[in-house]
Amino acid sequence: MTTLFYLTMLIALLAALQVVRGLNAVHALLHLIVALLALALLFFLLGAPFAAALEVIVYAGAIMVLMVFVIMMLNQGDAAVEQERAWLDGASWRGPGLLCALLLLELGYLLLASDTGSAGWRPVAAAEVGRALYGPYLLLVELASMLLLAALVGAWHLARALKNRRGEES
Amino acid sequence: MTELPVEHGLLFAAALFCIGLVGVLIRRNLIFILMSLELMLNATAFVFVLGGALHGNADGQVMFLMILTLAAAEIAVALALVVHLYRRYRSLDADRLEAMKG
Amino acid sequence: MAEFAVIIFRALALLLALVLSAALLTWAERRLLGLWQDRYGPNRVGPFGLLQVVADMLKLLGKQEFVPPFADKPVFILAPAIAMSTMLLAFAVIPFAPGFPLADLNLGLLFFLAMSSLAVYAILLGGYASNNKYALLGSLRSAAQVLSYEVFMGLALLGVVLQAGSFSLGQIVEAQRELWFCIPQFLAMVLFFIAGIAESHRLPFDLPEAEHELTAGFHTEYSGMKFGMFFVGEYLGVILISSLMTTLFFGGWLGPVLPPWLWFLLKTLFFVLLFVLLRAALPRPRYDQLMAFGWKCLLPLALLNLTVTALVLL
Repeated sequence: MTTLFYLTMLIALLAALQVVRGLNAVHALLHLIVALLALALLFFLLGAPFAAALEVIVYAGAIMVLMVFVIMMLNQGDAAVEQERAWLDGASWRGPGLLCALLLLELGYLLLASDTGSAGWRPVAAAEVGRALYGPYLLLVELASMLLLAALVGAWHLARALKNRRGEES
Repeated sequence: MTELPVEHGLLFAAALFCIGLVGVLIRRNLIFILMSLELMLNATAFVFVLGGALHGNADGQVMFLMILTLAAAEIAVALALVVHLYRRYRSLDADRLEAMKG
Repeated sequence: MAEFAVIIFRALALLLALVLSAALLTWAERRLLGLWQDRYGPNRVGPFGLLQVVADMLKLLGKQEFVPPFADKPVFILAPAIAMSTMLLAFAVIPFAPGFPLADLNLGLLFFLAMSSLAVYAILLGGYASNNKYALLGSLRSAAQVLSYEVFMGLALLGVVLQAGSFSLGQIVEAQRELWFCIPQFLAMVLFFIAGIAESHRLPFDLPEAEHELTAGFHTEYSGMKFGMFFVGEYLGVILISSLMTTLFFGGWLGPVLPPWLWFLLKTLFFVLLFVLLRAALPRPRYDQLMAFGWKCLLPLALLNLTVTALVLL
């Protein structure tokens, strides 16, 4: 079981690297979906099956589909791949890469040096999450719904502005 | 359910976060920046779920749900903006967006 | 170790049975469509035209495996693979008989929803990889349709989950020992059926892939075995929705005299025939009519069903 854990973590990291290094938007998106599926498997192994199912249904199954929609609508083609290749040369990797490596080392040192207790590992089923959501975290659910409403209205307004502008131009 | 040394899980999340951060810093294409942002969000979500499993209560997954909601809301509006920008500037280059007006 | 081998064997047996049933369904559909359209279906090849399935398979396998040079090759080959594999994976949680689901997950129903969410990618990637404007348009429309109806499907299923008190499909069947859920959850059943038709993009919801619309939509550029995989994926979707209907609303394998698996088979077969009948009988709505129907009519009904179920149960 532990080998499965580390193998999944490796898959997620490799897929994430391919996302960041990729030239073709759709291929990079597919690698991101692989990373998300690997994360869902990790959630399942940690005893959080509800989180795993939600990750696949909502993140990999809806949010990423939105991104695929936009990429397909913009429909850039081979010219975009060539442009990406021109933008991503060795020099542009060095500075930020060094900074992020330093950040990773710092984080690693802090996390390994601190003392986290390991008592109370327990799988948490969906029913318990539901009870928490409708019990102490009820206000959080209401706030989340307001956030989604705001996003809905915002996206609708932006799309309407697009349609109006296209109506004026033509 | 496996028991994992917590440090390894946290290190994995830190590595994922830093990979996402490199992507946000380096890429110029807006879509790639958004994808790297998603990686960072997922890394933090993993830490929350790990914490919830570690202490055996549902709080981690509740927070994960909130992060998911946040990501969905952000992506919807961000992609609508990207489409607008593409129609305006005919390019997805983040460096083109340097003027404050017009 | 032996247990592992048993599970592998059962999984392989299930996969084989599913692919064979999907293949048989192609023959059954053509005969039944012929019956309802007042003509013969395939009846030349073998007794009752049964070997037509073999003939079709041989034809598809024998065609040249052609990837168009302007297409995105890895994604082009990936799309039908996703179509088939997500549909096959979803069958792992369906209880054919007591003790027979391949994996009685505690979140069986959520697993099915996850697999149907992933199946959208097959359509999207197939249309994108074809590098063909008609395929792209068809795939965008089809994906929008599938995504929208997935929302209603999830909401309708939540009524069943409320009634049974569990996401596990085995327990949902067990909870129907006194009363099948089709009676208290009648609205949810109708909604799930309609959403299921849209999910497997069958008539009357198959506008994006019909032969006369947008030159066959997202599988315009596909030929040979890849097209065969899309095809088999669609029929697997039909069988999947039918078996879910029997599991969730009609008592699964519950029944008085016959062995449980036979009951399951008969009930699933009834719904599969219903799917084919709908294809023979109904006309195809326009795309905007389809989406308007979904969002303006089905969504309020699904929410109403959920509210009423929750009110009655609490």
